[in-house]
Amino acid sequence: MALVNIHSKLCDVLNASPEIIPLLNRLGISLGTGDKDVENICQEHNIDADFLLAIINTFINDEYFPESVLKKFCASTIVSYLRQTYAFYEHYQLANIERHFSALISRSGENNNLGLMKRFFDELKQDIVERIAADSREWFPCIEAIERGERVLHRCAPNEETSIHDKINDLKNMFIIHLSGSYDQNLCYAVITAIITLEKDIRQNDRIRNRILLPLYKSMA
Amino acid sequence: MMQVEAYVIMDDSIRAIALKYLLNEYFGVKAVVASRLESELIADKSASIIYVVSPDVVVFNHDFFVTKRQRTIVVAATPNDDSMAITPDMDEEAIVNVLNRAIESLCNEENKTQQASLTQREIDVLRLIALGHINKEIADMLSISFNTVLTHRKNISAKLGIKSASGLGFYAIMNGYISEEDIRSLKTE
Repeated sequence: MALVNIHSKLCDVLNASPEIIPLLNRLGISLGTGDKDVENICQEHNIDADFLLAIINTFINDEYFPESVLKKFCASTIVSYLRQTYAFYEHYQLANIERHFSALISRSGENNNLGLMKRFFDELKQDIVERIAADSREWFPCIEAIERGERVLHRCAPNEETSIHDKINDLKNMFIIHLSGSYDQNLCYAVITAIITLEKDIRQNDRIRNRILLPLYKSMA
Repeated sequence: MMQVEAYVIMDDSIRAIALKYLLNEYFGVKAVVASRLESELIADKSASIIYVVSPDVVVFNHDFFVTKRQRTIVVAATPNDDSMAITPDMDEEAIVNVLNRAIESLCNEENKTQQASLTQREIDVLRLIALGHINKEIADMLSISFNTVLTHRKNISAKLGIKSASGLGFYAIMNGYISEEDIRSLKTE
């Protein structure tokens, strides 16, 4: 996929990569972009254009990871982006999967597997919510305090394990490889799509969390 | 489907990057570019790696490549008869064909050794994972080595597409390998 630049029209970008719509939404950018380019949109929403470009390009291209560009931003810019991302996971994406999942179960009759898979999802959700809570309550405030020049006595150690990625992938495969019995196909597709969207979102944002923010934090004096 | 990876090892970074993108674009293979054979590559015993290298890399690391002829593609400077060579006179289609041959032969080999269903031993291991035992305990309970447990786990995950312990637990219940009673009685012990 071609890299997006400051003069790219947002409507062209969205036509080619609609999966970034949620990403723009949580930064406050709504649909109805007209023929504005990235620069116009950023001015309008008071967003650092270089930061937005780095995030969009990282998101669209799995192989592209401009480490040196991302490391130029101050930690608090990345923290505030991740906070918005986390809020979006909690209030929209997880809730969305849950809603579709419940509808799928109630419309699929006696399919015992779906109930068990829902319980596995509940466990995964719990893991995600716990990590969000730990980051938002302990790690992020710690980073912001250090950046303000405050003396931080207790440096918290952020969670670095990746079991969340494994579990999302497992859940996806339970549907794709192991689903049995009768089920509502439309609702099932809705659940899988929502899971895949969340998976991609978490994978991309964890690259930013683990490869940019984490080293930045560790190097902070 | 096995996960194939590729290492593109040559000094000419322009060619290396072009090959990396070809591998990714047409085969979804994750390729890593390096200028020489790093020691961690030599240590990697995985059979699902293909090597795309310049002739001098093969000459300098003859012992390493002699056992990997089937999955080594040489990027030669002049046209030759080697079916596993990429040469400057080839067009894109011909280059893609050479890469395709190497990847296909790799996947065929793998498919022969991999069956879809679990063996009895793997079911034993799966059951113990589902009941919440860690690898060390499983090794003791089945009187097998720790490494054997790891191998079983790797094979189970490859066959089922499920990696996490709790995911395997739910899979085991879904397929009747353990019952929810088993888990409940375990928790109340």
